[in-house]
Amino acid sequence: MSFIIRQLTKRADGGDIIRTRTLVQAEISIGRGTDCDIQLPDLAVMLRHARLVRIAASRVSIETTGGVPVEVGGKFVTRADVDLADAPAVDIGPFRLSLSEGEDGAVAITAERVIPPIDTADATQEVSIFSLQGAMPTRRRLAWVGALVVLVGLLLIPLVHFLGEGRATLPKDMLADAARPVAPGQAFGDGKLRVPTARPAATGGFAPDEVWSSGPLSNAHASLSNNCGACHTQAFVSVTDSACQACHTKAALPDHAAPARLANGRMPETGVMAAAHSAFNLPQGRCTSCHKEHEGEATVMTVAEQFCTDCHAGLKGRLPDTAVANVPGWAKHPDFRATLVASPSLTQPVFARTALAGARERSGLIYPHDIHQSATNAVANMARKQGFRLASDGSLPCSSCHVPDADQLRFKPIDMEANCGDCHDLAFARDGGTLRTLPHGKPAQVAGIIRDFYLSQAVAPRAGVQRITFDRRPPGRMAEVEAAQLRLASIGDAQARARAAVADIFTGKGLCTDCHVVTVTGAADITRRFAIAPVTINDHYLPQGRFPHGKHKSYDGKTGDAACVACHTGITRSKAATDVNIPGVTNCRECHGAPAKTLLANTAKAGDSCDTCHGYHDGVAPAGVLPAGHGGGARVAAAGHRASVARAAGFGS
Amino acid sequence: MASTAPTRKAMTGKAVARAPRDTAHEGFLNHKRARWAKVAGTLSLVALLSYMLTDPTPRHNGGTWLGYTLGSIGAGLIVWLSLLGVRKRVIGSKPFSLKGWTSAHVYLGLSLIVIGTLHTGFQLGWNVHTLAWALMMIVILSGLWGISLYATLPEKLSANRGEVTQQQMLEAIRTLDRQLDLAAQPLGADDAALVRMSLEECRIAGSLGQRLSGNYASDGNARALAAIGEKVMAGLRSGRADERLQQIQFLLERKEAALAQARRHIAMKARLELWLYIHVPVTIALLAALFAHILSVFLYW
Repeated sequence: MSFIIRQLTKRADGGDIIRTRTLVQAEISIGRGTDCDIQLPDLAVMLRHARLVRIAASRVSIETTGGVPVEVGGKFVTRADVDLADAPAVDIGPFRLSLSEGEDGAVAITAERVIPPIDTADATQEVSIFSLQGAMPTRRRLAWVGALVVLVGLLLIPLVHFLGEGRATLPKDMLADAARPVAPGQAFGDGKLRVPTARPAATGGFAPDEVWSSGPLSNAHASLSNNCGACHTQAFVSVTDSACQACHTKAALPDHAAPARLANGRMPETGVMAAAHSAFNLPQGRCTSCHKEHEGEATVMTVAEQFCTDCHAGLKGRLPDTAVANVPGWAKHPDFRATLVASPSLTQPVFARTALAGARERSGLIYPHDIHQSATNAVANMARKQGFRLASDGSLPCSSCHVPDADQLRFKPIDMEANCGDCHDLAFARDGGTLRTLPHGKPAQVAGIIRDFYLSQAVAPRAGVQRITFDRRPPGRMAEVEAAQLRLASIGDAQARARAAVADIFTGKGLCTDCHVVTVTGAADITRRFAIAPVTINDHYLPQGRFPHGKHKSYDGKTGDAACVACHTGITRSKAATDVNIPGVTNCRECHGAPAKTLLANTAKAGDSCDTCHGYHDGVAPAGVLPAGHGGGARVAAAGHRASVARAAGFGS
Repeated sequence: MASTAPTRKAMTGKAVARAPRDTAHEGFLNHKRARWAKVAGTLSLVALLSYMLTDPTPRHNGGTWLGYTLGSIGAGLIVWLSLLGVRKRVIGSKPFSLKGWTSAHVYLGLSLIVIGTLHTGFQLGWNVHTLAWALMMIVILSGLWGISLYATLPEKLSANRGEVTQQQMLEAIRTLDRQLDLAAQPLGADDAALVRMSLEECRIAGSLGQRLSGNYASDGNARALAAIGEKVMAGLRSGRADERLQQIQFLLERKEAALAQARRHIAMKARLELWLYIHVPVTIALLAALFAHILSVFLYW
């Protein structure tokens, strides 16, 4: 009964130290304790870990004594019987006991440390302990991850989206909105083109290329925020005019001038800017030259004054035949040249732009403003008797004739029946309960009606018919005079009376000649004997600009007529319709561009940018001498001058 | 003739040259009397004045002539600044010294705060452009943090280390481990398990959080020391003091002290290195974002 124990220890240089002992006893103890037969100096081993008993010639039993199992053949057991012929191995902690049959029937046990102790002095450990390499991924890996996330998420995915996107579809409601024609001058100032809140984004949700947006779109274009391709149609090409005009058609938003004239009138760029714009294919005069997007809210409509003066400061030098004066800026804006009626006509009135100083207008009308605005004369008395709305001083207010139009921009056209007819009525007879009146604007009809009136009274006189005289007559004799008019002795008498009455109506005081110039043609036909000079009433003196009267209802604390007269200063003294009462540009400068009255405020009392009064997309402005019709077919003339053709029809001589 | 020239020169009385400035001990911040600080300051001032004296419509942004100019300068600077990583790997290259290069890197990098931010026109949003700006700011601020660390930490690091090297710190801990291992051999299983906790579950450095916070209460040695300390106290109270355990406690305390010194060293070194773990990878991400920014701007022009 003996055990041969061999304990192997590794030397520092790698060699082995083998100590061999032979114990003659029935069992041996194994453990960390110094009293054990096989001492295994490691704290993972119990002080008395196990004992080994020989139970047969070549069989050994191993049994743990400390409750901590041992590993035999890969299994943790508290007891195991093993056959020495199998050369079994028992693992206890980091040690391995290899059992075999020794000489003279002894049990040979080789104890060897198979798991090295923890404290191996390793140079690599120093690095991992004292530098962050032991606690973090390497910087290189972090850099790769960060760069790839950015490139894939913010470049590759949006790029794939861009390349895969077909022709962008434009929202129908926006298309319809953009195709609506813009009235001249409407573009700026009245706020009608502003979209107060951002339109909601189109359905379809987030688009990957939205991460390329440099800022929020304007309210008007906000529903394109997930539809980059609607404007950015081609890669590396700045947004083209055709992209804008896909919605904003030329019909709705015409050119400022003929493209060739625009190009010639433009101030050519020089130096670095020209080189940069040319190098990056950014020609001048594109929509986006003025309209900047991705600047939030309403900024797409914000255009610098400089964009206008770039061309207009020295336009005459580049475009010698232009009718437009040079405008270096608001402070040096030339005085207005009013568009005045030069030759009134029912069909082809001629207008001419004239300097305001000493300007006379030939409207063909006789109309003294002064007597109509007196507070004390017969006009005021009549207005009071008729129960008209009167100004506080008892005179007729301006608005009794000048009625604001629907946009509060200018005024409804003057209409004889509506504006003059209450006082200047054309009644000529009472027929029972009916007041018989003459038609305005139809001189032949008037003569015919009067002639027929007298003849009918001669042939079949009716009681209760009275002629109303236009003559001034002594008080109390009216009935006598009127009665005498219709005592017709014969047909011939009636004809003579009719001729006299027609001549009286057309040439006598108190009717046509109050307002019109009448000429006697000498024709034998009574309906052709008198001709009335044509009248054209101007209703837009400064058609290239835009003056919203509704915004100027008060001026320097004045309201009502006082506000009107504050600018149209001479109007209460005006004795003739040839007077031109259009205020000059200095009048505008009293507020526009003038410093505010308060201290420390440096903002102007009112706006002074070009677009305060002028629109850009108002269509081609008339060039050179104004033709008849004030610009012919141009939109300015068509919309600005609702020429008095319709009203004046029938006045022809 | 040529050989006599130096001699003649020496005879003219110019042999005593003016002593050069002591540039060897001049840091990169004061390099050449802070030449690059002046250059960067001027650059920032010019950018700021240009920004304030121009009034583009509708507003300042990267798309005005000033915006494109600032953007080009900024992009050029970013690329050049990131090349410090290449330059420092080339030893002794001329004509610019690495110190001069570093000085310019620091000051021009700081001026990028002004140039890059003015380039944005303060128009920030959730997009690739603002991402590039944000990454740039992170890189610059982490660099600023790094400089402040370099100004204060090395002194503290040296004071904490004494004359001991890192290797010696580790050796001291290992020696104590061996002593603990030996001293624990006679102990019972429970006590031995506590010592094993110190030997096997002790992490000198530990995680990033532990390195930065210095909180190692859950570490093996601290737990072992607490448990052994309790047992020793219990033994003392009951009058049966265990000398073996007292020896273990003494060794654990010494190990704890050695660990504390090493860990202070590690904490400072972690901070010295951590800023670079932000500065360098974010720089690379910034270069990617810059590329995406520029490409997308011109793609969707």
